[in-house]
Amino acid sequence: MLASLPDAIAILLTLEGLLVLVLGTVLGIVLGAMPGIGSTVAVAMVLPFTLTMSQAPAILLLLAVYAGSVYGGSIAAILINTPGTPQSAATCLDGYPMAQRGEAGLALGWATVASVVGGLVSAVVLIVAAPQLAAFALEFGPIETFALILLGMTCIVSVSTGSVIKGLLAGMIGIFLSTVGGDPIIGEMRFTFNNWQLFAGFNLLAVVIGVFALSEVLMRVSAPSKETSDLVDFKGIRLPSFAMWKGRFKNLSKSVLIGNLIGVLPGTGAATAAFISYAEGRRSSPNAEKFGSGEPDGIVSSEAANNAVTGGALVPTMALGIPGDAITAVMLATLTLHGITPGPKLVEDNPTLIAAIFAGFFVINLLLLPLGILLSRVAAPILRMKEAFMMTAIVLLCSVGVYFVRGNPFDLLVMGAAGVVGFILRRQGFPMAPLVIGMVLGPTLEITLRQGLILTDGSFAAFFVGHPIALVLGLAALFALALPALRFALEQRKARA
Amino acid sequence: MQRILNERVAVLLGLLLTAAALYASTFSLSFSSAGSGQSPVFFPRIILSLWMGLALIALVQCLRTSEPNAPVARWWRVWVLLIAAVIYTNVIGREGFFLPSMVFAMISLPIFGIRNPLVVIAYAVAVPGALVLLFNHGLSMPLPVSRFTHLF
Repeated sequence: MLASLPDAIAILLTLEGLLVLVLGTVLGIVLGAMPGIGSTVAVAMVLPFTLTMSQAPAILLLLAVYAGSVYGGSIAAILINTPGTPQSAATCLDGYPMAQRGEAGLALGWATVASVVGGLVSAVVLIVAAPQLAAFALEFGPIETFALILLGMTCIVSVSTGSVIKGLLAGMIGIFLSTVGGDPIIGEMRFTFNNWQLFAGFNLLAVVIGVFALSEVLMRVSAPSKETSDLVDFKGIRLPSFAMWKGRFKNLSKSVLIGNLIGVLPGTGAATAAFISYAEGRRSSPNAEKFGSGEPDGIVSSEAANNAVTGGALVPTMALGIPGDAITAVMLATLTLHGITPGPKLVEDNPTLIAAIFAGFFVINLLLLPLGILLSRVAAPILRMKEAFMMTAIVLLCSVGVYFVRGNPFDLLVMGAAGVVGFILRRQGFPMAPLVIGMVLGPTLEITLRQGLILTDGSFAAFFVGHPIALVLGLAALFALALPALRFALEQRKARA
Repeated sequence: MQRILNERVAVLLGLLLTAAALYASTFSLSFSSAGSGQSPVFFPRIILSLWMGLALIALVQCLRTSEPNAPVARWWRVWVLLIAAVIYTNVIGREGFFLPSMVFAMISLPIFGIRNPLVVIAYAVAVPGALVLLFNHGLSMPLPVSRFTHLF
């Protein structure tokens, strides 16, 4: 992959490459700062506009929006005590009290530096770890790939907040949706009910935007309107001096490490990392007793960890084609829409693209510092924008985006239907990430299963006999599936004792 | 009675019946390929079986507990926006982007609490208009146009 670095840098240095990095980061920060939009909706909103771009700028735009939105969430958390994204919820705990005592600029300064450090380290982790993991995965045949995708599917369990059964059910719906249309091996039509519009299957993007963005608008209209806190006095970011960092490096390093480790684990997410890191900071920081009353270490713990997750989460996504959360599932969907098959061969088949993504991700995290300083002043008044304008614009922009994919009005219908179904399911506590994961990984799961059955003369048991990697991956998948039940049993035993 | 006739049960029952109907439909399909493992409905049948099994478990869980649904502030707002969104996504292809978007914005903004008619009209004209100007005339990536004019 190193040999492809000059070509990758050449892609980044084109006008399109630079524009994408800067505009994507700007858009990410602004959208992330708007309470309720969140990283997933932000990425889903931008996704359709990437389809007219070439592969590398398309992915870089989404990465920039992703990293920018995670940082942007801290602006709302500190200035109006409402996390722009769930990842920034822990930042409210110390960011807002600090802002209330007139140090909003400094609080955002701590958040900005911690975010940049967390993001940069995670970019290095991604660059080092992903190719190693991908090189190992090159040994995989169809059977090992099937077992790997099966393991990937089990991350549905960990992204299923609330009910594992409902998460798995949403995953099955997603896999089923991926089977509609032509059979991937013999090409015969399935579940099209003689509707020629379904011959090519459901448009992935229309479904993704429907279940995330459109259903969010419906969820918002169904929820009682919330009052936000007043905007505190804010005159721009003030970066902490080097002397102010004295005694805080250990906390920063620990938070970055926690973020990276949690990021690599599929399904845990930045919000979890931020709270674990905050709890660890509160336990081990020399300023522990001041946590919750505007302590900079609290902001550093949360922001360094949540930004460190971004690169970590991309490791299994890029190296193995396994999305760890909703955002990386959308990224994989983008790769699919650009004709790239996610999976272990992703790095080997597309070295220049992957090198450009890695180098671009590093640059995006560097850009967070100057753009964060510039944009926080602009973003502050936007925080007061009325929900009505934002939600209506989301519907209009999503329609524009979905229409551009194939110029087919049928896709708009699919988006509308997916939005309504997404709303109905979300009201019943169904998570939507498993549905998208199922739809993205479904085709590979089916193809590898059927290829494997050809290789083993139709014996499924033979998948795991004589294929040690498949056996280990299969056992890991079983363990991941059984984990919630084991945890439940342990909790029951503890409660009885 | 409330434990059986509620929104959660209706949704889960709907999911179960949908999967059952789809599973049944696989028997009406005929394919030229031989071999059960390579049949185009082999994989979907596995998935639909799991779907039915999981829906059944969720349904039983739901019937055994009486967990309430998330409260809805005003149902009429949800229904109006839901119907508006479905009609909107249906008519763009026939009536163009601008006019349906304008009507949708005029419905959506009051639902979200914007009462000033001038603001509603200004937004409903300006935002879709700006998008049409940008994509149809600026970027030459045309959005659908109405049957009355090719301009929007």
